[in-house]
Amino acid sequence: MPSLRFPIPQGTLDMLILQILSLGPAHGYGIGQRLAQTSRDVVQVNQGSLYPALHRLEQKSWLAAEWRISETGREAKFYALTRAGRKQLKEEKASWDRLSTAVDLIFAEGA
Amino acid sequence: MRGILNHLRGRRAQLDRDLDRELAYHFERRVAELVAGGASHAEARRRANLELGGLAQVREAVRETWTWPTLDALALDLRYAIRTLRKSRGFAYGVGAVLTLALAANIVVFSVLNAVLLEPLPYPNAERLVAIETLWTNTGRVTPDVSGPDYLDWQAQSDVFAAMAAFYSNDYSNDEVPTVVGDRAVFANVQSTSGDFFGVLGQSAAAGRLLTERDAEEGVAAVAVAYDWAVTHFGSADAAVGKRIRVYGGDTEIVGVAAPGFRYPDGADIWGAGAVANDGDRADHVYRAVGRLRSGVALAEAQAQMRTIAAALAEEYPANRLKSTILVPLKEQLTEPVRGPLWLLMIASGAVLLIASTNIAGLLLARATERARELAVRAALGAGRARVARQLLMEGGVLVAASGAAGLLLAWLTTRLLLALSPLASLLEDARLVGPGVLLFAVSISLLALVSFTVVPALRVSRLDLMNGLRSGSKLVTPGGGPRWRSTLVIGQVALSVVLVVAAGLLLRSFVLLQHVELGYTRDRVVFAYMQHAVDESSPEAHDRTIRARIDFYAELLERLRRVPGVGAAAGITFLPMGKEVRATRDMFVDGQPATQFGERPQAEFYAITPDFFATLGIPLLAGRDFSATMDTRGRPETAIVNETFVRTVLGGQAALGQRVRWNERGPWWEIVGIVGDARWQAPGLPPQPTLFVPSFTGIGTSLSLAARTSLDEGALASTLQTLIRDLNPTVPVRIETMDRLFDSALARPRFLALVVGGFAAFAALLAAVGLFSVLAYMVGQRRRELALRQALGAQVADVLKMVVGQGLRLTAVGLVFGLVVALALTRLLEGLLYGVAPWDAATYAGATAVLGVAAMLAAFLPARRAAAIAPATALQED
Repeated sequence: MPSLRFPIPQGTLDMLILQILSLGPAHGYGIGQRLAQTSRDVVQVNQGSLYPALHRLEQKSWLAAEWRISETGREAKFYALTRAGRKQLKEEKASWDRLSTAVDLIFAEGA
Repeated sequence: MRGILNHLRGRRAQLDRDLDRELAYHFERRVAELVAGGASHAEARRRANLELGGLAQVREAVRETWTWPTLDALALDLRYAIRTLRKSRGFAYGVGAVLTLALAANIVVFSVLNAVLLEPLPYPNAERLVAIETLWTNTGRVTPDVSGPDYLDWQAQSDVFAAMAAFYSNDYSNDEVPTVVGDRAVFANVQSTSGDFFGVLGQSAAAGRLLTERDAEEGVAAVAVAYDWAVTHFGSADAAVGKRIRVYGGDTEIVGVAAPGFRYPDGADIWGAGAVANDGDRADHVYRAVGRLRSGVALAEAQAQMRTIAAALAEEYPANRLKSTILVPLKEQLTEPVRGPLWLLMIASGAVLLIASTNIAGLLLARATERARELAVRAALGAGRARVARQLLMEGGVLVAASGAAGLLLAWLTTRLLLALSPLASLLEDARLVGPGVLLFAVSISLLALVSFTVVPALRVSRLDLMNGLRSGSKLVTPGGGPRWRSTLVIGQVALSVVLVVAAGLLLRSFVLLQHVELGYTRDRVVFAYMQHAVDESSPEAHDRTIRARIDFYAELLERLRRVPGVGAAAGITFLPMGKEVRATRDMFVDGQPATQFGERPQAEFYAITPDFFATLGIPLLAGRDFSATMDTRGRPETAIVNETFVRTVLGGQAALGQRVRWNERGPWWEIVGIVGDARWQAPGLPPQPTLFVPSFTGIGTSLSLAARTSLDEGALASTLQTLIRDLNPTVPVRIETMDRLFDSALARPRFLALVVGGFAAFAALLAAVGLFSVLAYMVGQRRRELALRQALGAQVADVLKMVVGQGLRLTAVGLVFGLVVALALTRLLEGLLYGVAPWDAATYAGATAVLGVAAMLAAFLPARRAAAIAPATALQED
């Protein structure tokens, strides 16, 4: 399967992780899968970016982590959104909307 | 924040394990996914591994999010640096020792310099305090002594001072005045002050009250005493107030005690009040004056006004014709004698630190090059070049921090020692020696040292060619750049060392010459009893009576002293030798010579002596006769004896016997009855001055000190003397000195300077030699193959030796040339400190060259031997 790997800015990845987790707790592998599936394989994040991002978000207290039994029966580290994380997500979404609207406007100008 | 907490709680190991588990889980899931997609287990693992892309890096990246990265990395670097240094202990201790010594030296010198020269005087508004000095317009000479009438006129006519005060100049007052406290006779440093002395210096009393202008004007018999003196003699400051003591024969009351630590001027113990006489002689410069500038008045403005006033006085009074006034900040006046030596020491120690730092820079670079392979591997494994450079910085930092701390401790200990031993002690009494300024300096030079020897190696590492470095046999650092740069360093080090060695050589020769100077009198086994017999000045009759008592006292004392077994001869003289009691010279008038102008008259030293003085001290009588007890006493014609230099300079070489001289314009003429050989009485370092002697039994002069030559032990004589004097008159305080001890203390400063600068020079030369050694060793290491090849092709051992030693000597020669030129230029500044040698003394320069030449040869010896010992076969086979 050809992999389309767009380099994702760190800030954007953080936002996407928060969004995925807003739908429910997940472990790192699951988050990666979800991102790929939902974006139809556009967003494929490698472990070198995913796990540092997860840990960073945890450091900032936007995520809380917990070791639980996963769907395979083995223990995995699940991340969940905290209240502060939810707030952060809302803010980032708003920023993203503003930015993409602006970009669209500029492209419309040129057309 | 969480990061630091993590760190502090030491959950690090746990976090690592969790992370491994987390990543392992991800790996398992991916493998399972691939297997489910049809891959074999092994294939799945392989692909999953590829996708993982470097477990170590992922780990690193995650770890960096855990804590404040810098803190974590720093901690790791620190541990690693300490480990590396521990592995090469010799290197670490060697560098550490050198650095500690160099840093300590700089800190000590700076703390003294700071306390003496940079910190303001410990008086309120110290920067507004000025000394008013006399400027002689014909010679440009400046003396701190001023005359009474001049001072009074300045006080009346100037408006730039908030307060002014005057006190008897040290040259004319005794700084050891006989004082009777209770039943004990002691010496005290008594200063007679007038004007608003304590007001000018902003002092307030610790007990009682301090003297005021009114006290001076009314001439009350009141004194203030120093804090320490009060505590020593009365137990506490309060206890001293109200007590009565006899100062120089006069009964006085202590009205107050000064604040602790205040001893101005010249370490005063007691301050008395005395008005400046307005009928004094304008040509008698017996006072010193200080003033506090009015706030808002600049020094230049005050100086201009004083100059105008002085010009007016010069017009009005013939005695002032050649005088003007100059204002000198008080701090400058007080520190003038030590300023030169202190800066000399600061520069010397700075040079040593510079040499040490550059040495260490070279050594660290050599080590970095050796460890290049190891560093390349670490960089390749993901440490990153910046990280590796940081590690080198950390190593240097550990060395510097440890050496800096040790250096600070050593400096503190040394300054304690210095306070006890050195001639600078008197200026340091009040000063704090390790204050914030000094700490700041210590940190600054440590950082400077660190920067100077880690920056270049760190930069080199950043430019490592990593791939090639991992291949064996390659050179990581281009050979051209390294040795050339280090050779330049060595040349610089040699040059600096030469300058120091030359300076040390000059100082050392000065000291040795001083030690052997022809004094003109005996030095062996001469004991001095320093005494002060008080004279009552309350009335002319009292004055007369006590003068006569004094003459009798000394006559009787000498009589008894001469009968003590072992005493070969004894006599008295008004002033001790060897700079113990430096006195200004006096104007001389010769009967028959044309009248001379004030300021242009011949000068001579002036002493009153007893008969047998010259015999006691071994000064030859060249013509005429010595004084005798019968012929030269009160009521007899006035006689005098002069020395050869006097005959030559004051009398113009004419026949002296029978000529008449005097030292003031109105006194009687004194007839010269004898000529004696020259003696360097006041300062061994100065050429003999014209000297005039008069008989003390005429009552003239101040109290005598006795000199006795003994063939037995000086110590026994000392106690005998003290008993003798106490028996005769218990109100006369005594202090015993030996000529040897006086001579030693006269030479204390030249000895100190020679030793310290010599120490620095030796250290610097050693460091330069080590620098040369390491450069040559490095070179030999780099050219192993070439040397081996040469040997295989038939070169003799001697040739190889010549090559290496030749290279060493070449470097040294260049350094020598530079250094000698710089030394020639700079040593001129030492002129004031030298004796008997010119700053361009050829012998010293030749000596310095020889010293460094020998050092260079020794430094080159070991690498040369190693070069010669390279077995061609093994070297050529090496990779």
